[in-house]
Amino acid sequence: MNNITGRVWKFEDNINTDLMYPQICYTLPENDKPFYAMHANRPGWARMVNKGDIIAAGKNFGTGSSRPAADNLKNLGIACVLAESINGLFMRNSVNSGLISLEVPGITGMADEGDTLRINFNGNYIENISNGKIVKFRPLPEFLMEIIDAGGIINILKNKGLLGEPL
Amino acid sequence: MNIIEKILKSHSVDNLKSVSPGDIVTVSVDRAIIVDMAALHPEFVNNPPIKPFDPDKIAIIFDHFVPPPNIEIANRVNKLRKLAKIWGLKDFYDVGRGGISHVFSGESGWILPGSIIANTDSHTVATGAFNAIGRGLGTPEMMGIIATGKTWFIAGETVNVRFINGLKKGASAKDVFFKMAEIIGDIPNMNIEFSGTGIKTLNMDERSSISTMCAELSAEFAVFPFDDILKEYLEGIGIKNYNPVYPDNDAEYYKTYEIDLDNVEPMVALPDKIINNVRPVTELGKVEINLAVVGSCANGRLSDLRDVSEVLKNKKINKNVRLIVTPASMKVYEEAIRLGYIDNIIKAGGMVTNPTCGACLGGHMGVSSDGDVVISSTTRNFKGRMGSPKSRIYLGSARTVALSAVNGYITGDENE
Ligand code: SF4
Repeated sequence: MNNITGRVWKFEDNINTDLMYPQICYTLPENDKPFYAMHANRPGWARMVNKGDIIAAGKNFGTGSSRPAADNLKNLGIACVLAESINGLFMRNSVNSGLISLEVPGITGMADEGDTLRINFNGNYIENISNGKIVKFRPLPEFLMEIIDAGGIINILKNKGLLGEPL
Repeated sequence: MNIIEKILKSHSVDNLKSVSPGDIVTVSVDRAIIVDMAALHPEFVNNPPIKPFDPDKIAIIFDHFVPPPNIEIANRVNKLRKLAKIWGLKDFYDVGRGGISHVFSGESGWILPGSIIANTDSHTVATGAFNAIGRGLGTPEMMGIIATGKTWFIAGETVNVRFINGLKKGASAKDVFFKMAEIIGDIPNMNIEFSGTGIKTLNMDERSSISTMCAELSAEFAVFPFDDILKEYLEGIGIKNYNPVYPDNDAEYYKTYEIDLDNVEPMVALPDKIINNVRPVTELGKVEINLAVVGSCANGRLSDLRDVSEVLKNKKINKNVRLIVTPASMKVYEEAIRLGYIDNIIKAGGMVTNPTCGACLGGHMGVSSDGDVVISSTTRNFKGRMGSPKSRIYLGSARTVALSAVNGYITGDENE
């Protein structure tokens, strides 16, 4: 995994999947879905996101449903999710859709909104370029990084010839 | 090892000798369940797995949008009907034939003690009531499971929740969960195992309600021990062959919490989240409501409809309130008719819908409008969950919802 450098958006504790991917997204055209991310808690935010931005959030990020919430953030251009702790289902969905999400205790205290962070995957640390602060993280297990590097589980299944024709 | 570690070990494809926190375990799954929502994931209908690992271990259940509320969804779920044929599934449950997957799979005898269940819906932690482990998974991951029959878990630490004594009249399993939310909070990547003498006072509906709601603590699994109540339930539906799992005497737990069921009182979750946001109903002040909902995999079960029926018998609901009651499965619906519960609800002015997830996910059957104040026995109160982000959702037990519907404001008190 190459290092990621990006601008930070801060979110609080307990950001749930229904905020990232509200009910109405299910039946919207694919290209429109990402613009409804965080519509209920932060209207207008999705339009301000640039490709390569990073989310830095509090505890229990991604609590909620199995809906493709991680895909919505990825399709919006989010390069990485960093949070104090992450719901297990969101973590799986994130990995399986090729979006890297990391549990980083201390992340909320070392980054303000608008700061630039560099995530160093060789050294397993995050550097805040705006204020010089550094925090370590525990890397994801290798087999999960392989899924992310492959661009998600669908690509892996396709390459193995396990998926068929449209219904 | 504790119950969860033992189930992971017994399903390990690498024949691990033991499992402890931090271990990555690749497991075979005993059953995979796909719900209608999967049809709304483009990858799934565009590239479904060619060949299922075992068609007899896979079920497709329509539950979230039953019957379909619009043309788009009606057309999409048609594709799953087609897929059930292509795969040769015997377990396909269409409109009017099953119920909410977590409830119906229990009624169908699919959740055997000691088993592992994969389901595309996030409340699969519900399986814990049956001394089994199950997880909600995203549709892409389920596609891999359908193709291979396997998935992975990273074993987490487990907290032990010990129940003592029994519930007082007026308190219910949902309130026990709210108490857990208050004292435990969120525990991502960790598990729960229940223990203690209080368990024997809880029936399968009540255990299921508690384990289902543990999704809201971000727990991975929330497992009850095997006992006579579960054994009798399974016997009642003709199931005899399974392998119950007991914790070893030296099983390790990260922490133990004790809850005296006798001290549990009616509680509610205030709008937008459950964690750090629950209160005893008596401390709430007067919150007037206009939409009251009973339903969901957590609390649309027969015991919940019984509670609602008891409250509403020979009463009328408040004129400012719409009450919507959605039984969780066809079986619950039929039983509730037979026992007269549905009659009591309708005569009180409540609307009873067909079994579905319905209002719980704000998809249909009672979507909330701007400014609605909702009291609901469903699972989630996220902003906008049940419809408009400008509605406010309080969660409570089915009994609290019914009492509130009669009084026009949130109350858990029989005598008001
Ligand atoms: S009832 Fe609600 S929580 Fe349960 S499966 Fe349906 S939508 Fe999900």
